[in-house]
Parts: sequence; structure tokens; C-alpha cells
Amino acid sequence: MERYGGQTMNEAKKAADYRSELKPIWCPGCGDFGFLNAMYKALEELQLDPANTVVCSGIGCSSRISGYVKAYSFNGIHGRVLPFASGVKMSRPETTVIAVGGDGDGFSIGAGHIGHAARKNINITYVVLDNNIYGLTKGQASPTTPLGVRTKTTYYGNMGTTFNPVRMLIAYKASFVARTFSGDPKHIQKILVEAVRHPGFAFIEVLSPCVTFRGQDQYKILRERVRYLDESYNPENEVEAFDIANDENMLALGVIYKKIRPTYDEIIQQNVISKAKAASNGVAKIDKLLEQFQP
Amino acid sequence: MLNNRNIVIGIAGSGGDGVVSAGEILVNAASSDGLFVFMLKSFGAQIRGGECSVRVRISDLPVQSQGDRIDVMVVLSWSNFLRFRTELLLKDNAVILSDTDDPMPDKDVPLNDQQRELWYKIPFSKLANEKTGSSLAKNIVMLGAISELFSLPKEALNKSVHKKFRNKPDDIIESNIKAMQAGTDYVCEHVEKKDPLRFEYEARSPRLVMQGNEAVAMGAIYAGLEFYAGYPITPSTEIMEWISRYLPQRDGITMQMEDELASINAIIGASFAGRKAMTATSGPGISLMTEGIGLATMAEIPIVIINVQRGGPSTGLPTKTEQADLMQAIWGSTGDSPRVVIAPCDVEDCFDCTVMAFYISEKYQMPVIVLSDQFIAHRTESVSPDAIRGTKEGFRKTYTRDIPNEEELKEYRRYKFTESGVSPMSYPGIPGGEYLGSGLEHDERGYPRGDAVSHQKMTEKRWKKFEYIKQEFRFERFYGPLDAPLGVIAWGSTKGAVKEAVNKANAMGIAVGALVPQLIYPFLLDPFNEFMKNKKRVIIPEMSFSGQFKRYLRGFIRFGDYGVKDVAYAKAGGSPFTVEEILNKIIEVWKDMEARR
Repeated sequence: MERYGGQTMNEAKKAADYRSELKPIWCPGCGDFGFLNAMYKALEELQLDPANTVVCSGIGCSSRISGYVKAYSFNGIHGRVLPFASGVKMSRPETTVIAVGGDGDGFSIGAGHIGHAARKNINITYVVLDNNIYGLTKGQASPTTPLGVRTKTTYYGNMGTTFNPVRMLIAYKASFVARTFSGDPKHIQKILVEAVRHPGFAFIEVLSPCVTFRGQDQYKILRERVRYLDESYNPENEVEAFDIANDENMLALGVIYKKIRPTYDEIIQQNVISKAKAASNGVAKIDKLLEQFQP
Repeated sequence: MLNNRNIVIGIAGSGGDGVVSAGEILVNAASSDGLFVFMLKSFGAQIRGGECSVRVRISDLPVQSQGDRIDVMVVLSWSNFLRFRTELLLKDNAVILSDTDDPMPDKDVPLNDQQRELWYKIPFSKLANEKTGSSLAKNIVMLGAISELFSLPKEALNKSVHKKFRNKPDDIIESNIKAMQAGTDYVCEHVEKKDPLRFEYEARSPRLVMQGNEAVAMGAIYAGLEFYAGYPITPSTEIMEWISRYLPQRDGITMQMEDELASINAIIGASFAGRKAMTATSGPGISLMTEGIGLATMAEIPIVIINVQRGGPSTGLPTKTEQADLMQAIWGSTGDSPRVVIAPCDVEDCFDCTVMAFYISEKYQMPVIVLSDQFIAHRTESVSPDAIRGTKEGFRKTYTRDIPNEEELKEYRRYKFTESGVSPMSYPGIPGGEYLGSGLEHDERGYPRGDAVSHQKMTEKRWKKFEYIKQEFRFERFYGPLDAPLGVIAWGSTKGAVKEAVNKANAMGIAVGALVPQLIYPFLLDPFNEFMKNKKRVIIPEMSFSGQFKRYLRGFIRFGDYGVKDVAYAKAGGSPFTVEEILNKIIEVWKDMEARR
């Protein structure tokens, strides 16, 4: 099946080596810059080979990120980054796949995919840069826009309570759920490195303020609302993790939940392909498959 | 007209009567004697039980259709038979068989005097009970009876019963064989043959038994399928069921996704990662995939999409056929979005068209849609093993996309402008081949470009490929005399009835030819130019109420320019065209032509 093998790298890569020639279209002060810079550093720390790294995204401000990274990258359609990433990962399990999107891309149009990528435990990292607004279309309500907030499509105030992404992902049995903050790139780097190394579906919510449509004071507000999880915190306790997720006043930063279980590609290899090939005594030949159609 | 080398047998009953099993045993028996077989199944909407019928046509000569009218109607249950009265049309002199223990309801039974005369009542259930201790084997008793009555291949039937029960204990096999023998013996001892029907044939080497969906699945494997993602939907589901079982035996991956949006994007991901990828679906699913098809065109990702058409719009007729997704397949996208559309016309062609779809998608890096339909997907035909093994003539070429060479990788441009519009495609694992794939309009390297000049040039690049595809093959079939004044142009599953009707018409002295294109889009003009020579009238039969195929053709050719009048024969789907319908239309138009001469 392999037509072109992977390649080991000779020289150590620097963060700048992962930077593409494209200049980000983001507004000055956008939280996504904080994540992007932290991501370059995380890629350096992980020494990922660009040839064996796929960065993919959907549609939105944050989804432009795939163009800014030197790797195999793909900027697909709105809300479908997880199915795309699943197709890549299952096709080339040796590849590191990082899927990125925003709160609209992930929790609105693409919400139907998260639970399935999580329950299958597709071994990818999924980063949602959550700015609580639709930025690319210039300021409409998203599933995480706070209740009552006026946006261009909720002139009289946002209706409906907001999603709690971390709680949702724990409920979906994602095997790694973390939250971090654009205002602390070092923390992002640490969490991202851990997520990429995690064997299984790893979800990171990045609180990534939109200064243009949510206001210049977002960093200040968030800084007052975040707290770091203690070193002693054990993320493997689901009940405790839910308690932390439920606290929407003080947003905990760090790995909130983690449980290692077999990944989808491991299951496919061990429980599907090996069983199938045992049934066919090795790779089935066309003539062998045709036998079942004999009268 | 009695044709003893061709017999159409209908079997109707409830789900528990073993109707389908009996049909399958018949089909297997006939195929193992090398006969030509065509079987259609029909079910009620119930998940289990309910009414069920099969129509098995067995012939010593190649068959193209289900056979319009039934020679032998086996009724395992009258109440269930009556639900199929509009589907199962009997010949005026059809032979009827029924179970002595299932009395016919007095009213509403649509049998004429002749049929009532040729009616055998045989105690199927009673004999089954005697031989096996259960009435379940009444279908097997029935097979024994009809094999004696109509000289069907008895030994082959015996073998097929063995095969059917091969996973059962020996005593069960034995009691079923006894049940079959009991049916035969009963006919020998108690039945006086009143009809002249005796099937005549010469045994040949065995043929394979396949359904359209299975042929698609086999074709995909033959073409080198590596990744399948899909979501179950009638009438395409068997493709995924088959592939999920056998693709892993060839190291491939099958993923059942949460919906069709996920399915199409997963195969785009797999293909981006360098794998040959495919999905299969039907109307509601293809609607959801439409955005993804546009993405594959824009990002130049090779993917194969099988659309097994069913009646629509919306949920429509999930278990019935129609040919009304044509426009959707060709144009269904935003923007100017080239994709290739191929239509198989029978089971064997399902194999060919799928192989072809992979060839084109891999070579030209674009989505290819195979437009099958329920009528092909769920029918069983006996097919030549040589045709499937690839030793017979047919489309058997496979292709794996071009990847960049070392020189090209030095400064890799994924969407490099080339003569053919095709540029070498790298994938993860190839150092130096990193690029940005995107649904945004882009430059040669894949970076976003929003200006009109770039858009014009890239659009031209994507459309250029069509010119090369059109030059590469001829994809059409002609039937009957090419220079006949009357013509029929049809596509997809309508071919069977058209071919048979054209043969019959020519035998009757009507000069009529038919054209059935296999590559639907891009449009190939040459075959039409050849076909239109000398034509005065062209009938266009299609299972699309609005006449999508005719409208499509009119977008490329003006019938008037050839001095031809086009005659629409458009109907909504639900039941496929019969030979009789097409033949009557041919006769009608022919008479009109004669009258005006």
C-alpha cells in the first residue's frame, strides 16, 4: 500500500521553519496570533517533520491558519474539518494531524461531527479557537456568544444559553480535553505538545479573544476569569472533570480530562484488518473474492 | 408466441414463505448451467415479514431485461400476491401454481379463464411438513414441482439447495433434498400437464451471479480502492456492506460516518493523503454531498461517488428506481464545477463504469460520479466470469495519480498550469511536496487568490481536463442499424428494454437503431453526429418526468440541425420501462413516419 515512505529529518527545525510565506489576515490584537506563534514553537518542540504533518481547517478567521503553517495543509469547507482529518489520519496513521477551527465551525455547523470523532477516538488533535463570535463574516452571534450580548444578528440581545465546549467534550468521551488561553502562549505550547503526544482524540479549547467584534477589553475580562489547574490535579477522574467544566465563572486552564483508550486506527488494525486477513489467508486476490459469486 | 428457450417465473408470498431463497436457488442453478439469468426482487415497506415477490427470467440466450410478462406464476400466498397485481403482469396463457392449503380468496383475483384452466394446485405446505416436519420448506417442494413441470435443470437445482444449506447440519440438507424430491414426485404421480411449456437449453460453463451493487464494489476493488467512507442509504447500502467486509482483506479502510457530509469530506481527506477513495449514496445523501463535490473539483482531489438513484425528490421512493438525478449529478454545485458523470446500463457495466471512474478521477484529479439506479443495483444477473476477471474486452485500465518528480519537488507548485490542466499531486509522506489545498480560489501553489484574472486562469485549468478526457475514449453503445431513419437515445438502466425492443422492432421490419452513451458528461459530440446521420425521428425514453436527459441533450445539440424531430418519452420512475412500452412507442412513431411519407 505504501508508495512513498516517510522521511526522517536530518537537521533540527526552528519555529520559523514552520512559518509559511502567507501573512495572516487577522486584525491586530487578534487572539489567534497568540495561538499561531505558540503553535510554531510547539511544532519546534515536537520536531515534527512537515512532510508528515497535516494541518487542516474549516472556514472562519481561525481556519485560515492552515495556510500559515509549512506542512501539508488543507483549508476545506465550513464545519467539516473533523471528517477530513479522520480521512487523512485513517489513510496515513503515521501522519500527525492537527485540525483547527473556530467556535462557529466546530460548535454550530460542524457540531454533528465532534461526538463521532471523539467516540471513535481518532488519533488527532482538534483545536477550537473560541472567540465567542463570527469574525470572518464581521460580527454575528456564535454558539458561545454570551446570553444577551448584542451582535449584528442578535440586535436585541443573544438568545439561548451558550455551549460549554469542555463539558460537551467530556460527555462525548473525548480522551483528552484541555483549555488554554491566547493571553498565555507558553501555556498553549505546553498543552498543544501534550495533546499532539496524546494517543487518541485530543481536544483543546483556546480562549482566543476577538478584539474587533467582542471589544478591546476581552483580554482583561478573561484574565480575571481564568485560573490554572494545580500540578496535583488528576485529570483521569471524570466526575471531578465535570465539576471543573461546570464552573463557568472561573475558567480552569490545563488538561481537564484525560483517559487513554485504544485509538480508532489501532482498533482497525487489530480488530478489523487482522481478522479480515486471517479470514482470507493474507491479502485477498481478485479471483478469490470472485469465488463468492459462483453459483 | 411461445419461446421455450426463455422462461419468466414469478414467485409471490409473505416474507416467511422463502420467496427470495427460492428465487436465489433458481438463479444459482441456472447460472451454474451457464444460462442467462435476470432476477428482480420486490418488497413491501416492512422491515421483516410482509409481502415479497421475485421475478426470475431464465434464458438460453442473452437477456437484456426482466421480461415483460410472466409465464409461470407461483403463488405461495394469495393475499400477498394480490399486493403485487400491478407489478406482476401475467401472460394471457400464464401457468399458475398455488398451495392447496392456501385457498384463493373469492373476489378480486385477477385471473382469466385460460389462466384458471392452466392452474395447478399442489400441497406445498403439506408435503414440506411430511418431509421436514415444518412447512418452512414449502418453497423447496415448489422448486421440485416446477423443475418437473417445466423441465428446469434438476441436478443444478439439487446442487444449489446443497449450497444454500451448506452451513446447516447434514440432516437439514437431506430433508430439504427430500422435500424437493417430494415436489417432483407429486407432479409425476398426481398432476396432469395441461400447458405446453417445457424449457429447452444447452448447459454451458457456469456464470457468476451478481447484483449491480456487488459489481460496483468488485469494480472498486479491482481499480485499487484503498479507502471507503459512507453512510447507509437505500438502495446503495449493499455497496458499503460488501466493501466493509472485503476491503480490509486487501488492507483497505472502511469507515461508517455520521452522515453524508462527513462521508464525502472523509474521502476527500483520504484522497488528499494519497489514497484511492470512494463513497456511495442515493438521492438524499447526494444532496448533502453536493458542497463536498464542489470542494473536490476546486482542490482537484480525485474521488469517486456512486449515486444509486431512487425515486425523488426528498425521501421519495427509497426502494424504487428513477433516472431523475441527472441534472443534479452534472450541475449540482455552486460555481462552474466540472466533474465527470458515467452511467452503467447493466450489472456487468457497473463493474466497468466503476473501474473507469477510478481511472478518470485519478488521472484527471477530479470527482467522478457513477449514476447507477435501483433497477440495476438490486437486480441479479448472471455475468461472464471472464468479463469480471478482466480477460474479456471492456474497460480494465487502472491508473494511479501522477506524483511530482524530484525536479518538480525543488519548487513544488501543486496547481501548476500545464497543457492538460493536470498537475502532479503530492501527498503527506513526500518531503518537499507540502502545499496548501483549499476550497478557496488559489494560485499555482495553492495560496488564496481573490482576483478575477487568477480565477479565470484556474477555472480554465480545471475545465481543460474535459478536452483530454473526451479525446481518450469512446464511451457509447450502438444497437440496431446505425443508419436507420428512426432512433432511440437512452441512458443507464433503460438500455435493457431499449435494446430488446430495438431487436424486436427490426425483426418486425421496422428500421430502428439505438444509442446508449456510457460517458454522460462531458458531452461527446462524435457519437451523436454518427448516430444522427439519416435520422428523421429520435425517441428519448427516460424515467424522469421533466425529461432531464432530453433537456440535457438539447443543451449540446439541436435536433433540428440534423433534420431530426425529437420525441420525448418521459415518465416518473417507480417501475422501469418494459420492452412492450418501448416497442409500442417505436411502432407508434414508425406508423406516424409512414403516414407522413
